[in-house]
This record gives sequence, C-alpha cells and structure tokens, in this order.
Amino acid sequence: MSYLELKNINKSYAGVAAVHDFNLDIEKGSLVSFLGPSGCGKTTTLRMIAGFEQLDSGTIRLDGSDIVPVPPNRRDIGMVFQAYALFPNLTVRENIAFGLQMKKTPKKETEKRVNEVLDMVRLQDTAKRFPHQLSGGQQQRIALARALAVQPRVLLLDEPLSALDAEVRVVLRGEIRRIQSELAITTVYVTHDQEEALSISDKVVVMNKGLIEQIGTPEEIYRAPMSRFVATFIGTANQFLGKTSGKNKVLCNNVELLTGDLNGFEEGQAVVVLVRPENVQVQSDKPQQKNWNIVPGGIETITFHGAVTRLGVNVNGQRVVADITVANTQPVSLNQKIWLMFPPDACQVMAAEE
Amino acid sequence: MAKSRSTPFHVPNKKIRPAGWQVFLVGFFLFYMLVPIISTYVFSVATRWDRTILPEGYTLEFYQRAFDASYFTITLRNSLILSLATVLVSLLVIVPTVYWVHTRLAGAKPLLDILMILPFGIPTVVLALALVQVYNFSPLARSPFLLIGAVVIYSMPFMYRPVANAIQAIDAHVMTEAGQSLGANVFQVLSKIIIPNILPGILSGSLLVFATVFAEYTLTSLIVGARFKTFPLLLVEFTRINGNVASAFSVISFTIAWLVSILILWVGSKGQVAKTKAIRTG
Repeated sequence: MSYLELKNINKSYAGVAAVHDFNLDIEKGSLVSFLGPSGCGKTTTLRMIAGFEQLDSGTIRLDGSDIVPVPPNRRDIGMVFQAYALFPNLTVRENIAFGLQMKKTPKKETEKRVNEVLDMVRLQDTAKRFPHQLSGGQQQRIALARALAVQPRVLLLDEPLSALDAEVRVVLRGEIRRIQSELAITTVYVTHDQEEALSISDKVVVMNKGLIEQIGTPEEIYRAPMSRFVATFIGTANQFLGKTSGKNKVLCNNVELLTGDLNGFEEGQAVVVLVRPENVQVQSDKPQQKNWNIVPGGIETITFHGAVTRLGVNVNGQRVVADITVANTQPVSLNQKIWLMFPPDACQVMAAEE
Repeated sequence: MAKSRSTPFHVPNKKIRPAGWQVFLVGFFLFYMLVPIISTYVFSVATRWDRTILPEGYTLEFYQRAFDASYFTITLRNSLILSLATVLVSLLVIVPTVYWVHTRLAGAKPLLDILMILPFGIPTVVLALALVQVYNFSPLARSPFLLIGAVVIYSMPFMYRPVANAIQAIDAHVMTEAGQSLGANVFQVLSKIIIPNILPGILSGSLLVFATVFAEYTLTSLIVGARFKTFPLLLVEFTRINGNVASAFSVISFTIAWLVSILILWVGSKGQVAKTKAIRTG
C-alpha cells in the first residue's frame, strides 16, 4: 500500500472539470512532481491534498486513513507557497516557530528545532530579521524551513520557484532536492517548468486539461512519451504525420520512414512519428548508412543555444528541427543544402487520432 | 517594526527649493484649515471682539462657566460611552466580515463596497426619523442602544475603508492558508496573523469613527434628545446662550478628541509590541 493514495478524484468549477478521475499512488519518501500548463489541474489537486479545496468525489488516503474529512490545520501536511506567505509581523525565528507553538511544543524543543531547520536551509544569521529584509530566494528558504519545522507527514510545494530569478531557481531546486532526500520526506511538487520537474523528481505526473497524460520517471517521460502532448510539452519533438506501410515503415508526405516494429498498428493506419531533435544528425554529403532514415533539406534557421546549435531545416516543405553540437559537425550556413539522418529506433510511432 | 531606509539617490548638498505656487498652495491650505480653529480658541478666551481686529482683552471666565454648567460631566461621559461603544461594535462587525469576504467570498467584495457608500447617500435626518418609526417598541424605542445602532451605520464607512485596504494589502487569503497548514485554527489565524498585520488599518478606522461619533449631533438629537444628552447637544444649546462659552466647549471637545486619538495610537503600538513578544520564542 502506498503512503499517499489519491483515488478517482473529480473536481469541477461551475460545470467545467478541473480535475477528472485522478488516480495516483505516492511512495513514502519520494518526490513526485505535477507538471503541466496552467489550468491543467495540478494546483487544484495539490490544494485538495492540503485541504484547501473540497473534492466533488474520490478519496485521499494518507498512511492508510482517509484525510478528506480532516480540516487543513489537522492534516499534518506542510505547504510552501509561490508567494512565500511569510508572516510580515514576525521575525524569521518567530515565523519558523509558529507551527511548533500551534502544537504547544515546549520552549526548549522549539528553540532546538528552529535552529535545526535554519541550519538545514543555511540561513542561521537571518533569525532576527523580518521577512521584508530578505531577498526572494531567502524568503522561500525560510518558508521551506517553516514548513519543515513541524515535521509534516507530507510536504507540498506549489510552484515555489516561479517568482524567483533563473539563477536562484536552479540553485534552490537543488537545495530542495537535497533537503528532501536527507529527510526522506514525502513531497509533492507542482510546476509548469519541465526542466525543474525532470531534474528533481523521482516521478513526474504530466497533466493536461484535468487529466493525467502520463506518470513515470523523468527518463521514461522524456524517452518514451505516451502521447503527443507529453512528447511536445516535455522537450521538443519533430512530428511526421503519415500512414503505416508494411511492418516497419511509415509513409509520410511521399517519404518512407523506417521505424521500429509496428506491432499493434493496422496496415494503413494514420500515425504520427516523433523524433527528438538531438537524434537527428546533419551531414553535408549524402550519408551511406544502411537502414537509416536519410532525407535532404535546406537550412532555414540557425539558433545558437550554447551547448547545442538548433537548425530549422526545410524538408519537402516541412520544418524539421535538428540539434547539433559544435564538437561533431562542420560549420553550417543559412540556405545550405544538407542531409538529415536518424536511426529507426529514434522514431516513436503513435496513433494520430487523439 | 519597519525601519526606514535611506533613499539611494540622496544628494545632501543640493536642496530643491519649492516653487512659488507650491508655497502659496500650501500656505492657502493651512490658512483655510487653521483659521476657524485658531479663531475658536481665541474667541473662547476673548472678552470683547467685535470692534477690533484682535480681542480687547482675555479671560478664562468662559471655561469657568463651561465647567460649572450642569450636565457638563454627564454629557461628556455620555459622549465617551457612545463613541467607544460605537468603535467597539464597529470593530466586532467589520473586521470579521471584511476578513471573511476577502478570504471566502471574494465575489461579494463589490457588493460590500457599494453597501459601504450607502450611509453617505442617506441624509442623517431621514435615517434618524426612519429608525425611530421602525423601532418604536421597548426596550429599543428612543434608547441609547438604538442610537448606538444608528451611529454604527452612519460611521461604518470610516471603519470599513481602512480595514478593507489593510486586509487587501496583506493577501489575507494566502496568509490564512499558510497559518492553517502550520496547524492554526481560524481564531488563531485571526488573532496571531491577520489582526496584528492589519492593526494600522484598525487603528485609523477606530480613530475616524471615534472622532466622527464624538461630534455627532443630528442622530443623537432626533433619536434620544434630552434623554441621553451628549456633548455636541450641550454645545449647540450654549450657542444660543453664549458664543464664548460654546467656543470653550468646542475647544474642550477638540482637546478630548486629540487626547483619545493619542491614547488609541499609544495602546495600539503597545498592543503590537506585546503581540510580537508573546509569540517570540527566544
């Protein structure tokens, strides 16, 4: 049995489904991200776990017991908000001690605990300051410390880094992951930033329009997306619409693409072939590899991304994106005629109608 | 609590001189506001002041007469009771209502905003006569309780605005959820988080209500009249008898309003420090 179980959860606002038949098991001590565009229901689901939103139907069980009838202040679930939500009238120390005081923790223990969590977020020297005297990143660390001080059964983070600078975001997400694994605290992390979700999660739940699109490890989500939405929302993917032809070919726009085995597809079925840009190689002369997909095209755009350069290539009227690293390619220029090549196992085929 | 920060672009040697029209504008404003007050003060100690620019002589006789007037202490007491009771009722009604509307019923905010303008739109005379007719049964009829109810309505916007602005400014909704996630119930959230953070709003609302009600005449006169005579009633009575004594009353009234304002501010700042200390762990 999982530590936190969400079963058949439904929630709608004014007849519009915000979350539809949501099912999820979360293991004790793991970090699970809810990832999706705004309005996909990820925050609503988080707030239902916290107790700030009522469920229309379904159950939420924590450590075996139903928590739906329990009011938010008795759920023993900590939360970190996007807007930090530190209490402006209290110092950092008082903010962190607040939850412990609500639990009537003895003074000595409170003191000890506050110091522990301040150590954990590495902000011991700010204890006497007020929230407005801290930077955004510091405030969010204190908010994290405050939520952890009461040793909650589950920690919820609602887009905790959205209000921060890119640089602070990267540092802080590492910190969150470090602290989370140190304490082995069961954590649910809501974000719309795929890079964030992929880099810190044990499991990612990709959501769209109130539905779960896919649940998996970051690698599974990236390498084996189960829907076009997941493939395009997580990273970039070239999409070729076509029809299956034979047991390992797809006919797209008069070009035959070699794919893996097409078991489970009917002959002539409308499918879409997905290829990640980093799997597309670029050659200036026609390559001789056998059993690879090789197509000619002209470079239309060149965008420098640092580690890779992204090429927009016109293949038969369709834009194909290829990422090349500086180390293993010759220089390219606009309008240059080139050859694109990618192996059959880089092609992921899924049914086109959705 | 909040320490003022020095502005980063402060240039110490270069003083910006205000333009002539700015000096004139500020001067005119001060003149407009201060002349009535100063002349009231002077008139309350003047012997005769109808043939000369400045009074012909000065005396404290009118203060003597004011303090000696029968009803002086009683009306003063009644006014204080009325004002303080109104502040209290107003606080008890407005603060939780505004908090609830802002955190649970955001859709009702515009409605509340409109309701809070209504008291300005209804002439006090109409309000008083209507209330007297509707509540013409004991124990309410023409009682101080009915009067308190009436002035609470009349002064409500003065409490509502500052409190609503303060709650708006602290994002009460998120504060409440943060408090709840840390184990606080609604009353703990209100007393330990919301109220300390909107205290400046509560104080300025209380001051406005106190000052307004302390000088209230129409409702008092029409609803209770001589049964529960307040200071403004006595003052108006004396304008018909002796202008100088009435001026002395006005000065006393000003002074009391000032003193009470200072008291409320002082109590407020004490309260804030106490709250902060109570929750302090170290």
